[in-house]
Amino acid sequence: MIKVERRLEQPRWYSFAVPIASAAFSFLVMAAVLVATGHDPLHTYRRLFDAAFIGPAAWTDTLVSATPLLFTGLAAAVAFRMQLFNIGAEGQLYLGAITGSGVAFWLGPHHATGLTILAMCVGAAAGGALWALIPGVLKAFARTNEIITSLMLNYVAGLLLTYLIFDSASPWRDLSTIQTRSFPQSIALQPSQFWPNWSVSDVVLPFGFLLALAVGTGLYVLFRSTRFGFEMNVIGDSQRAARYSGMRTRRKILAVMAISGAVAGVGGASQVGDFSHVLDASPQGLQGASYGYTGIVVAALGRYNPFAVCLVGVLIGGLQNAGLFLQGPDFPSGLVGVMQGIVLFCVLGGELLIRYRLRVGRRRRVAPVEAPPAVEAAP
Amino acid sequence: MQGITKRFPGVLANDSVDFEAGAGEVHALLGENGAGKSTLSNILTGLYQPDEGAIWLYGKPVQFGSPSDAIDAGVGMVHQHFRLVPPFTVAENVILGEHRPEARKFVLEPRQIERRVVGLGERYGIAVDPRARIWQLSVGEQQRVEILKSLYREARILILDEPTAVLTPQEAEALFGTLRTMAEEGRTVIFISHKLHEVKAVADRVTVLRGGRSIGTLPTADATPRELAALMVGREVELARRVAREAPAGTDSALEVEGLTVSGDRGEQAVRDVSLAVRTGEIVGVAGVAGNGQRELAEAITGMRPPVRGQIRVGGRKLRDGDPRAAIAARIAHVPEDRLGTAVAPSLDIAANAVLKSYRGPLMSRGPLLRWRAIRTHAVDLIKRYRVHAPGPHTPARDLSGGNLQKLVLGREFSAQPQVLIAASPTRGLDVGAIETVHAYLREAASIGVGVLLISEDLDEIRALADRIVVIYEGRLTGDFDPGTATVAEIGLAMAGGERA
Amino acid sequence: MSVNHGLTVSVLAQALAYGTPILFAALGELLAERSGVLNLGVEGMMLVGAVMAFWASQRAPGSTALALVLAVLTAAFAGVVMASIHAFLVVSLRASQIVSGLALTIFAGGLGLSSYLGQSLGLSDAPPVHQFSELDVFGLKDVPVLGPVLFHQTAVVYVAWAATVAVALYLARTRFGLNVRAVGEAPGAADAMGISVTKYRYAHVLAGGAFAGVGGACFSLAIAPGWNAGDSLVGGAGWIAIALVIFSFWRAELCLVGAYLFGGLSGGLPSALQARGYGIKPEFLNALPYVMTVVVLVLVSAGLAKRRLGAPAALGLPYVREER
Repeated sequence: MIKVERRLEQPRWYSFAVPIASAAFSFLVMAAVLVATGHDPLHTYRRLFDAAFIGPAAWTDTLVSATPLLFTGLAAAVAFRMQLFNIGAEGQLYLGAITGSGVAFWLGPHHATGLTILAMCVGAAAGGALWALIPGVLKAFARTNEIITSLMLNYVAGLLLTYLIFDSASPWRDLSTIQTRSFPQSIALQPSQFWPNWSVSDVVLPFGFLLALAVGTGLYVLFRSTRFGFEMNVIGDSQRAARYSGMRTRRKILAVMAISGAVAGVGGASQVGDFSHVLDASPQGLQGASYGYTGIVVAALGRYNPFAVCLVGVLIGGLQNAGLFLQGPDFPSGLVGVMQGIVLFCVLGGELLIRYRLRVGRRRRVAPVEAPPAVEAAP
Repeated sequence: MQGITKRFPGVLANDSVDFEAGAGEVHALLGENGAGKSTLSNILTGLYQPDEGAIWLYGKPVQFGSPSDAIDAGVGMVHQHFRLVPPFTVAENVILGEHRPEARKFVLEPRQIERRVVGLGERYGIAVDPRARIWQLSVGEQQRVEILKSLYREARILILDEPTAVLTPQEAEALFGTLRTMAEEGRTVIFISHKLHEVKAVADRVTVLRGGRSIGTLPTADATPRELAALMVGREVELARRVAREAPAGTDSALEVEGLTVSGDRGEQAVRDVSLAVRTGEIVGVAGVAGNGQRELAEAITGMRPPVRGQIRVGGRKLRDGDPRAAIAARIAHVPEDRLGTAVAPSLDIAANAVLKSYRGPLMSRGPLLRWRAIRTHAVDLIKRYRVHAPGPHTPARDLSGGNLQKLVLGREFSAQPQVLIAASPTRGLDVGAIETVHAYLREAASIGVGVLLISEDLDEIRALADRIVVIYEGRLTGDFDPGTATVAEIGLAMAGGERA
Repeated sequence: MSVNHGLTVSVLAQALAYGTPILFAALGELLAERSGVLNLGVEGMMLVGAVMAFWASQRAPGSTALALVLAVLTAAFAGVVMASIHAFLVVSLRASQIVSGLALTIFAGGLGLSSYLGQSLGLSDAPPVHQFSELDVFGLKDVPVLGPVLFHQTAVVYVAWAATVAVALYLARTRFGLNVRAVGEAPGAADAMGISVTKYRYAHVLAGGAFAGVGGACFSLAIAPGWNAGDSLVGGAGWIAIALVIFSFWRAELCLVGAYLFGGLSGGLPSALQARGYGIKPEFLNALPYVMTVVVLVLVSAGLAKRRLGAPAALGLPYVREER
């Protein structure tokens, strides 16, 4: 019989070692799955690793996959840290893409690139933040479950995106040629509006990736060194203690939802500015990638620590990139999602080991208990 | 029970305890908090399994792998914190988990169960309406339901863990009658307590536990309270007695509450039209049975719960309603009854918890940034000054023992130089040493001019500390007593809503 | 007049059809939550149920009826397997129920296991061999209004009615129902009375998985027979089911009402309005169930905040006996 006991002391190294050990364990589980489905696990891992992290081309593609995950992962981490389960990064990212690209189309190509980028980021942050504030306000003032509202709004945001490009004459839609009128697509950014990138020993670093790292650093400082971060920690740990100590929980909920949505929104702008250069509403575009949901995996694996989230984001980005690269009959696309799920399950299960100790003891044989002689007939 | 040993991480809760009780007797298990009484009873009811030792029932060794084994063997328990399901009816609680063959029906038959509950209640003088929902009942009635649960299962051994803590003195007397009836029928009643006079009043024999060991068993008739106390604590002790304070209460008013009405969690009026005043340097005790509006009163004064009507004034100035920050600014210190759930953020470390209320101030932060070094220094200082036993300022608050946690909370609250201190059940669950420390701090606070409102269910504690006693019953103040002259019976009557002073 | 009449009937009939998977999933979630376990993996469990049901219906031998029964049982079993992961993590390992449920949805969902299974079992866009068709109950399908709405539905609709009654009676009237409610409200009390919190939680989370799997099967065998490799099939029904449990104050009979309301919003009303060509853009109609979910949730939770009724008190909290 396995018994669970609370650990009195939690060595610091546990909080690093256990997740890593759990992740390693998940590779064993995954290997079993691969064997069961007729794959050679070592070979598969090897191919995945090569496609994700060997050579500048692989790294370039990995960073492309990782960039949106850093944003959505950080967005989820901000909120989850305060036990505010915003799973609407998906929709907030769409909104950011919509408002960010809208700002760029409205400004036109004749401004300095820096100004365009700044305006796009501000617009996207505002769009994402406002979208996130819907569940935020409902949570703060009506105590509505934010998990469900933020999720429902993801679907609504997706439909809004489709509507703007496919089903209306919105300012986003390109109506300039006959072709684009029958095959709807958005206006495209002009090259002067593209977000820059830098090549470092043949690995292309997109601006959005660096921006995400900067956001991560900023969030780290926020959590670690500010009164705001302190209040987030207290509220996340105990709402009653927060109220007891006079913290304004409601304002904090609104602020944190806004920050979370803004970060996801900038991620949407980065998709447009860095990579696609159009507002892609097709099923293979933003809506097919499910960056928002994967961001939750990234945040949970990074234990809501901004730096860890960035690191995990790159790893998961690599996995996704490799999955995309290897996609084919012997490597169905769903496999990457399955692998992410297994890693997450293992790390979640492993967290128990940080807080508790397992003790394997002998199973106690329970002696048969005889029915007691009645004391006195009860009425 | 022979040689029972139970270890918890870091604690040896029971160290080869021997304990034996006969049929037809009321046997008291006496010991201070932390002596291992609850652990022992949890082992006897199958909630915990002993690491060593054996349990013998009526001459046969038994092993309880789970509570249902113990129940089947005829052991029933009334826990200190009731194990009842609040939204269920009395009858539903009574039959919960019932799995004897004759009751093993798939579909429930409420009528039949209700009839039996009524029958048992009448027979033992503990009647309750079987269709009432638990949350509608008073704490005393809830205790009756707990006893009925065991009687319904024809328990031959009934364990009661600190049963009088939630009762008025009169209700306790009635309970003793019920227990005697049960013993006369041949049942064994195990009565766990740390109150000497109760043990003397009800038990035939008493076993004393100290520090997880059994010290000895003796007939209560032969033992004097003084002997028992010495056995329990391990040294000669002064029995709880009023200590007259040198500095009498001042004349300035520290806290005034006027016409306060507060809603409870279910929308009911938990506090009704309460007015009271605490002067500087005065300790006012609020006595009453648990659940009569004490929590809501404390929360309203400290801003955690907005009142429906009424005013709160500190030092003559009206307090903003429902705003804990305003209460903190008015220097109201608050030691809440739920230490771990309210007074601290349990996973955060001591350092963070030490500045839970002061982190906004200029000492602990500069602009939006925290001054972590100052915070750490403050925490180390607090640990030293209030003798909090902890590895260091980075220990999570939840890893502290009850007594050390309370010292941390008191230290933090005192370091804000309060004008008013609201202390709710500040010694609940603490051991004797910690209780003495907390009492000393409360007296010290009063002696430097703090107005203390001590809310406690422990009448002895209130009688020992308070300069004035008010009694709360169903949200109203039903008595105002001078502890020097009032008798337990008078106060007890008021606690039961009997008489308005 | 007759146009409106026909419209109403078709909306109502579709409401029942589309509401059925939501109802199954909601009943399952209700059972899990009553035992104190929140399972946010409903969407994922439904998708796996849907794909496995479709697979079984393709491969099953024998008559249509037998094949469909086997397919539904396969879906239920698939749901149980998915739910067992969640149960192990949150009951035995005490992981966060919210994160574990989300992980389950990501693992099993549209970019995970269900898509993987669909591809590797070669189900994408395969033509259905068997599917549920509308019955003519008591020969009453031509009765005006009531006929098409109540007596001309697929078998799963009627099974869902039976399931609703069964769940409601189980919780209210039986010994096990009483025990599970106690486990969800006050696990400490249940434990002290010899009820195994762990066993009850496992059993009801797994049962919830079975219900969710069957709900998924309703999509791939009755509403839109087939499998088209994407989460558009279930399209948030699992999440609506979770919301529904809240709207219904954790009561099975109210789940039925709510499920049909949302069935009408997600299936009946949009297609009816579009068919009549009222010129409302499909995006707005399709957004309706999601927006309405938010609206109803706000109304209910604003009321709940005042009275705090319904939710099992221990929902979402792991139970640890030896914590001291």
